Amino acid sequence: MIEEMERDDRVFLIGEEVAQYDGAYKVSRGMLQKFGPQRVVDAPISETAFAGLGIGAATCGLRPIVEFMSWSFTLVCLDQLMNNAANIRYMSGGQIKIPIVFRGVNGIAHQLGATHSHRVQAMYSRVPGLVVVAPSSPYEAKGLLKSAIRCDDPVIFLESEKILADKGEVPDEEYLLPLGVANVERTGSDVTILSYGRPLTRIVRQATEVLVKDHGIDVELIDVRSLRPLDLATILASVRKTHRCVIIDEDWGYCGMGAGILHQIHKPAFDDLDAPIEYIHADDIPVPFSHDLELAMLPSLDGIVSTVNEMFGR
Amino acid sequence: MAVVNPVERRPPSKWSAQATSQAASAPAFEPQRQIDMLRMMLLIRRFEERTFQEYTKPGQKIGGFCHLYSGQEAIAVGAAAIFQKSCDKLINGYRCHGHSLALGMPPRTAMAELFGKATGCSQGKGGSMHLFQVEEGNYGGHGIVGAQIPLAVGMAFAQKYLKTGGVTFCFMGDGAVNQGSFAEALNMASLQKVPAVFVVENNGVAMGTQVERHSADPELAKRACGFVMPHRAIDGNDVEVVIAELSRAADRARAGDGPSFIVCNTFRFRGHSMSDAMKYRTKEQVERAKLHDPITIYSARLIDRGVMTAEQIEAMNQEIHDQIDQATAQADADPHPDLNDRFTDIYSETYPYFP
Repeated sequence: MIEEMERDDRVFLIGEEVAQYDGAYKVSRGMLQKFGPQRVVDAPISETAFAGLGIGAATCGLRPIVEFMSWSFTLVCLDQLMNNAANIRYMSGGQIKIPIVFRGVNGIAHQLGATHSHRVQAMYSRVPGLVVVAPSSPYEAKGLLKSAIRCDDPVIFLESEKILADKGEVPDEEYLLPLGVANVERTGSDVTILSYGRPLTRIVRQATEVLVKDHGIDVELIDVRSLRPLDLATILASVRKTHRCVIIDEDWGYCGMGAGILHQIHKPAFDDLDAPIEYIHADDIPVPFSHDLELAMLPSLDGIVSTVNEMFGR
Repeated sequence: MAVVNPVERRPPSKWSAQATSQAASAPAFEPQRQIDMLRMMLLIRRFEERTFQEYTKPGQKIGGFCHLYSGQEAIAVGAAAIFQKSCDKLINGYRCHGHSLALGMPPRTAMAELFGKATGCSQGKGGSMHLFQVEEGNYGGHGIVGAQIPLAVGMAFAQKYLKTGGVTFCFMGDGAVNQGSFAEALNMASLQKVPAVFVVENNGVAMGTQVERHSADPELAKRACGFVMPHRAIDGNDVEVVIAELSRAADRARAGDGPSFIVCNTFRFRGHSMSDAMKYRTKEQVERAKLHDPITIYSARLIDRGVMTAEQIEAMNQEIHDQIDQATAQADADPHPDLNDRFTDIYSETYPYFP
């Protein structure tokens, strides 16, 4: 964010506690001192007002970054995102551009309870007019966020409270990662595993390692990373090569993000599949407070390993 | 702070006196500008009456929801009279035909949009509630009640940020003051001291719910008190009163003194939308309100001032009839959108692998 704000005066940050408090998760630490209160703007607890302010400013030549303390809180301002950010360009017959990034933490973190643990990806990825990305490492987060800020469309940027503190290699020189392109993290020939964001860092990379090392299954692991537009070309090429596909997601299953991806794949890849596409997702329950119950609702290492083995008749 | 009661609750005899006294402080316009304003009010009225006919006659050419502006013309025309096209912006709710015409949208372009034609302002993708003409500063009609108010704060925020000297005029109906977005946005506007003018067109009824039944305090201007915003209720049927008050508010905004809140009391002659039989109003209320028709008021004033004669006004009205007939015929003959165009204007960027 700092690099992009130095690069382009039209970029500003607005959200709850982003300025004087240094960010609820300290993402914007030091930015108020650097850029001043006009470009790092504290908003009251009024998601509808500051999301709408961002959209209105974007229609008039600015490039806002709107931080939500949690994506769960966007349920109170859904109209601004789904109607205004997504539809205005279309309804104006292309007269208006809306270059804006909405970012914040998404999904199940640690004992936040049912109201603060929503996974909003399916809700927003359904909407024509929006771009939805979910980074899975510091390298991905920086490269995707810079592209999102330079993008002329509204971008829903889904971080995770559990990923924000992750450390990882980031190049010194400037780089951008393209929106709308999946990342093949590991090439393999036996099965394609599709995941993204938090489940990838929590469990899927680990499960991949176990499947490769302990079970001799040559996994092709794809970080979907761009949930809309979905990089169907990369995904289909992989599934046609491996003939098997598993989608791993922490969303609810019914009408979930993975269900949407599955629908895109199953028909075009049908003749290439040696087994039905597997979809491993969270239990269809409100997110419980108890840590044990919360963990139990999520895809597990054992569950992933046994599901993949079953696809090979083991 | 002068609080004027909604039109229908005011004795008719007081109307003209009040209008005249408030109008005394209005800026003096050249005769030609006065004539132009009356012409635009007549044009909007005729456009809306024609829209009503096209919507209701057999072989209906206009679909969907459609909300007419008849009776409220002085507000849009007053705002347009002080609008600085080089830097000002306007954003609106769904009753947006009048403002769009007043800001310069050709009647054919507006009617073509209502018909869903390729020559409409949004090529048939917006419709009656979503008329946009950005090159004229018109940032659209917005279909969800109150949804445009936070956008207006952002537009004004951008004007301040970019130091354009511009003002954002944000229009809404009286029903919108009860949306959460209204309270959130006005608070934010005052906190950020943005150059915005919030205008409530109080026609006394939110769809079918009278202001007394939808607002605990029907003096809607007081809503701004909690946001420490200068506020005033005015006669919204007198175009010169509208101009005087909006000018003051716009000057305040341009001077960096922040937003204002203006309640324009008015009356809509037609139903909320096309399906509305107006059972919540008596015939007498409507007849009484028509005595205070903004067009009648302004016509009488121009005759009094010797700017126009009754015959000249009638001739102008006939000219406008012909103009709207012609625009409607053109819109009718215009092509429908190409079916493949439904996939365009969704994104500004192109993405690899995206169909």
